Amino acid sequence: MTTTLEHAATTAQPKGGGLARHQNFGTAIVAGVILAWVGWFLARHLFWSSSDDWSDQVTVLTITGWMLGFWIGIGAFNAPFQWLLGRDNSREDNLYYAGDQQGRARYWKYTTDHKVVGVQYIIVTMGLLAVGGILAMAIRTELITPGTHFVNQQVYNSFIAIHGMVMILALIVAVAGPWGNFVMPIMIGARDMAFPRLNALSLWTLVSAAVVLVGTLAVGGLPVGWVVMGTIADQAGPGMDFFAMAIVIFTVSTTVASINLITTIITMRTRGMTLDRLPIFVWGTVITAALALYAFPFFFIAEANQIFDRTTSTSFYIAAGGGTTWLQANLFWLMGHPEVYVILIPAVAALFEISSTMARKPVFSYRTAVGAMVALAGLSAVVWAHHMFTSGWAPSLGGPFMVTTELISIPTGIFFLVLVGTLWRGNVWMKLPTVWMFGFIFNFIVGGVTGIYLSDIPLDEQLHGTMFVTAHFHYIFVGSVLFGAIAALAYWFPKVSGRYLNESLGRISFWLVFVGVQVTFGAMFLSGLKGMPRRDASYSFAFEHTNFISTIGAYIIMSGMLILLGAIITSWGHGEPAGPNPWHANTLEWQVPTPPPLENFDVLPVITEDPYHFDETTVSV
Amino acid sequence: MDTSANKSLRTFYWSWAILTAVGVGLSLWLPHRYMPEAMSNDAHLTMTTLILFSISAAPVAAGVYAGALHILRHHRYTGDGVPPPAPQIRENTKILVSWITASAILTVFVLVWGLGALAAENNSSSSNPLIVNVTGQQWVWTFAYPGTHVVSNELYLPENREVEFRVTSVDVTHGFWLVNMGVQVDANPGVITTIHTTPDRLGVFEVRCEQFCGLNHAFMDAIGYVVSPQKFSSWLASQPARA
Repeated sequence: MTTTLEHAATTAQPKGGGLARHQNFGTAIVAGVILAWVGWFLARHLFWSSSDDWSDQVTVLTITGWMLGFWIGIGAFNAPFQWLLGRDNSREDNLYYAGDQQGRARYWKYTTDHKVVGVQYIIVTMGLLAVGGILAMAIRTELITPGTHFVNQQVYNSFIAIHGMVMILALIVAVAGPWGNFVMPIMIGARDMAFPRLNALSLWTLVSAAVVLVGTLAVGGLPVGWVVMGTIADQAGPGMDFFAMAIVIFTVSTTVASINLITTIITMRTRGMTLDRLPIFVWGTVITAALALYAFPFFFIAEANQIFDRTTSTSFYIAAGGGTTWLQANLFWLMGHPEVYVILIPAVAALFEISSTMARKPVFSYRTAVGAMVALAGLSAVVWAHHMFTSGWAPSLGGPFMVTTELISIPTGIFFLVLVGTLWRGNVWMKLPTVWMFGFIFNFIVGGVTGIYLSDIPLDEQLHGTMFVTAHFHYIFVGSVLFGAIAALAYWFPKVSGRYLNESLGRISFWLVFVGVQVTFGAMFLSGLKGMPRRDASYSFAFEHTNFISTIGAYIIMSGMLILLGAIITSWGHGEPAGPNPWHANTLEWQVPTPPPLENFDVLPVITEDPYHFDETTVSV
Repeated sequence: MDTSANKSLRTFYWSWAILTAVGVGLSLWLPHRYMPEAMSNDAHLTMTTLILFSISAAPVAAGVYAGALHILRHHRYTGDGVPPPAPQIRENTKILVSWITASAILTVFVLVWGLGALAAENNSSSSNPLIVNVTGQQWVWTFAYPGTHVVSNELYLPENREVEFRVTSVDVTHGFWLVNMGVQVDANPGVITTIHTTPDRLGVFEVRCEQFCGLNHAFMDAIGYVVSPQKFSSWLASQPARA
């Protein structure tokens, strides 16, 4: 931390401000730890230590202290505090907070520039993927043969929960975070987001939530599965308090981010950027943000109830006190299914953008594509109980939820039509983003078709709770969303770094990850068909071969991802220079210099047509 | 359309047909090869549904794959530098309408079949089902046969008689799953959930917990037997009384 502090001190031109000019991630951690200790100390002395709930009360107050301290330490309260004192930021202040002329130090700060926030999201996503990936490798290593040998059951049970939640967080932000922040405002011709400070707030709140979530591993883990069903969660130790508080904090982050994205897209479009000229990735972003704004509060309530059950004498989920675990399940899946599309839609929208540029053709059936995304978002709000077909809750609702769920295959089918239709008869430029896009098309079919099986109740009564489900959603999350996210990274990487993502390393990585996904999750389908339950630390010899194959496949995926990481790191500093518009695309982010200057445009552009016209003049740009 | 385009389209239709055939073959082979032995009416229905859905998905998946292959073979730009503009096609109403219609028809088919199968599963055929009270606790299953003194950790069922399972838990949520019967339901504390099925094949089957329930979840199994009605009665009679 000291180096970044010195760097900041030498390159910035502080005009007064004092302390506020030295705040960064380091001071945030220090302040967070101090206030966490204060919370811990107060709670230990304020609450009755003879109460059953005492340790949970202490844990929750400690984490609350951490969150407050982190916010204070990073500088989240500086501007509101100034307003309370009746002062407003000067132009110089605002430039300073936007990270003007601060070099790399700005990436460690509460920086308001949307492009800095976008890069921060790339780093956070990669960090979360690394943590989740290491846990995935530990899980697969444990499952290489029957019996428990590598980690014990308690540790294994924690690993599956943390792996699940960390990966969900990583994928929620994997596309919408980096590109919804870095390129989206430029795409619509805006100088920044509508609320630049809230943008920084959502990013750093996510970071502090991630610290709490991973912190569960330090306090005895979370041996309850990532859906943390009400009854089993009641038996868990302080790890459960960490988890619930991490979700509460995370929900603050997504809510703030969603409101910011929606407001920006509605109000900040430049002149002539009408809704039917909007780049389709912007449509994907606004639909996703609206869906997240609807969905995540359910998660907040689900986990807040959990916290109340643990720290006070409520019994929302405790049967002995009149509660029901089905309440938790309903709230969880009211969030849980829309969340899948919060993860999926940005990746699909980015691929629409990429397919058009790379095929030198307009997006096929633009309005239908937007309509399909809207329909998918709308349907996702009314399908949640298909996760509860075998829970025993409301059997008579099984039929209706089956109907809504299977309707999803129509908008999903349109995604394929639009992608293939855009590429059809194109002059398809086989660069790295295109390669990963073809991987997406292959895997998303497998994930989609197996989803239809699970939406059918008689089939679900056999396949639910098995490795078949795990394989299905890994084809969606890894095979589809991660492939889409990597395609988006390869596509927009030149705008961020000014350099291409290394083509040959990227292709080696593609083939390893692509083959690894088929091997790992293909064999996992067979384990599930044979009847192997999910979340089992050990299994019978009947599942020996398919699990061995899955573990080998997982190592192949890991080697591919490590090569990709190497490609990102080396290309960022030393890759082949790319120029401002390497793909000769028409959307606005490619019309500004690389790196885009602070506030993006000298003069805001005026839009006269949509960005999907490719003619000879585009080529010669 | 020139002849070379027609020729390339012909290879598209051929690869579509071949891939569909491969998909249908896999649909017929994989479930029989990998699914556990079906030992109840519901398990047979599950198997049939899985095969049927796979077969109807085969042409859709094959169509997309054939399309992707076609693009890779015929529409890949092989020159240097930036590809020239392609035909600026924005809409094709015929393709759009037929695609949506086809996917809607398939969806309706899947729905009608699924709802019918669901109704068949829920439809209790017997007026005199055998009732078994199932209790989950960490990490063991207990089966009680009301009207008798029998409480067991092994599940005996008579052949060809409908069984109604009344499932509950004494601690956390468990998942009561009869692996070879194709039915499952959660065991929740404080409530009773029910499922029913009719075993139709003699033999040994597995009972597993499929809802994460704590430390030894992976080992929460029980063994089950489908026996003839005579053998079932003598088994009931031979069981010792439990306190």
